[in-house]
Amino acid sequence: MNALAGPDYDITQNGWDIVASPRHADVITVTGPMVDAMRTPAARTLEAVPDPKVVVAIGDCAAGTGVFAGTSGAGAGAGVELGATIIVPGCPPTPSMIKDGLLLAAQALSDQLASSV
Amino acid sequence: MANSETGVAPAALRDAAIGRLEYSSPLGAYATTDSVRYLFLEKRGVGVVSARIVPGESVAAVSGTLPGLSWDEREMAQEFHIPFDRLPDARPLRPELGELAPAVVATGAGVTQVVVGPVHAGIIEPGRFTFSSGGETIVHLDFQIGYAYRGLERSFEGAEPLDLRRRVARICGGCSAARSLAYAMAIESISNAPVSEPVHCARQIIAELERIYNHVFDLSACCAAAGWGFGQTAGLGLKERALRICQAASGHRLLFDAIVPGGVGAGVLEDRKEVQTLLLMLQESVEEYAGALLDNSSLVSRWKGTGVLTNEAARALAAVGPAHRASGGSVDVRDAAPYGAYQWLPAIPAREEAGDVFARCRVKIAELRDSFRLIARAFSGLGEYQLELSTIVPPNSGDSVTVVEGPRGAETVAVTLSGGLVERVHFISASYRNWPSVAHATIANIIPDAPLVNKSFNLCYACADR
Repeated sequence: MNALAGPDYDITQNGWDIVASPRHADVITVTGPMVDAMRTPAARTLEAVPDPKVVVAIGDCAAGTGVFAGTSGAGAGAGVELGATIIVPGCPPTPSMIKDGLLLAAQALSDQLASSV
Repeated sequence: MANSETGVAPAALRDAAIGRLEYSSPLGAYATTDSVRYLFLEKRGVGVVSARIVPGESVAAVSGTLPGLSWDEREMAQEFHIPFDRLPDARPLRPELGELAPAVVATGAGVTQVVVGPVHAGIIEPGRFTFSSGGETIVHLDFQIGYAYRGLERSFEGAEPLDLRRRVARICGGCSAARSLAYAMAIESISNAPVSEPVHCARQIIAELERIYNHVFDLSACCAAAGWGFGQTAGLGLKERALRICQAASGHRLLFDAIVPGGVGAGVLEDRKEVQTLLLMLQESVEEYAGALLDNSSLVSRWKGTGVLTNEAARALAAVGPAHRASGGSVDVRDAAPYGAYQWLPAIPAREEAGDVFARCRVKIAELRDSFRLIARAFSGLGEYQLELSTIVPPNSGDSVTVVEGPRGAETVAVTLSGGLVERVHFISASYRNWPSVAHATIANIIPDAPLVNKSFNLCYACADR
């Protein structure tokens, strides 16, 4: 994820930015298993994002697959539990794959906006 | 080689552990179902002071005298119900029923509390920072983790020890190679299966590559938090080159599965010329980058005097790694308890006295330079040797505690095998060890500098939680 802000992948060239508040976001990316203590904070963060929004699961753990799937502390995967509509698989996915996932998210957002008119 | 172990009565534990501090550094402590084991760094590796748990007898807690072991004792009390006599901080370490223990706050006229997290304004892992501040000055910081607590150690019990290594490598992303190395060494120790010198050289290359990409990222992050965009972006560019070298060396950007019990992963260091060529170019660029940082007087002025961890605090809090060495400490596991290729290709420990952000960055710059040197020597040692797949067969039972110097400091792994499977495994990450030092170093700084202090340690949350 951090690499997206770096010179090699630079998502600002696509007109995107990593913002400091969910209130300013259109896309939420989520990683990891869903740990009990994260459930409420994650749900609250998602609620704070205005519609339309898209949730992207980054990595195998968030997708509910991966080496820790099935352990009691993993839940179903953070992406799965938060209703991710786009999954970027990998352990971890490369920055290029994440960027591709975000492109899909941007497309999904445009589609949502278009269909809501 | 088995760990040296001294058994004491539960009531004598505190005195025995504190006595050890005269001549060795504390690595942490953990519980099994019937004992507690306190771990210390010795020349040969890890020394153990243990006490059998006796029903009705309380265990003399150490953290009242050595606050650095507070987290370990809180974890043991919570997870294994170890009956400590008195804990200075008796709150459960981990969340219960999805809730963290209440934060410790400062109160008084003009003091306000600001809770930051677990979701943060930047791309960092989840943790809760409860600041108590008087105006802009931080009077107290209580930092609490638990949002990445996946119950991994319990889930690892009953695993086949060779099979487990894939999960061990993925406990966190930033210390994967170091942890995998410590785990591999533990299994090899139990199996009485030494590895060859060329394999040690290959492992050293992998381990130092991990140190390089992490240290470069830390410097980039310290630029970001001090407001120098060029330093941040240039550093990210260097980190990307380092990760691509890791990919070329091991098939994985984060070196997952590169170090395995008995040897190295398949395909590791296949194209040695390519890796060495890329490293030479990266070394030159890192040298240039370091020069640019140190020459930037306004950057340095933001780093100097910020986030001071005194030598006394570092010792009381059992700090490890670059943070320990930046506060006047002299312990580097590669030097204090040499393992693998460090036994004949020694690392040169870096050391600073000021304990501020600047000192931690200077230590990392020195270590970066040394890493390139070590890798070059290790490649000479490796030569054209054909690395084969591991053929290790662990025995039915055995016990080993190992420690290596990961990018953030001492990475400790304890493994007990029984019936051919893992009965107990415990990981003490350098991050787990150092988080209390981050909180302490933040006190008396201004709130806007809190991210800078945090990034000057740049610890993991995932391997502290497990």
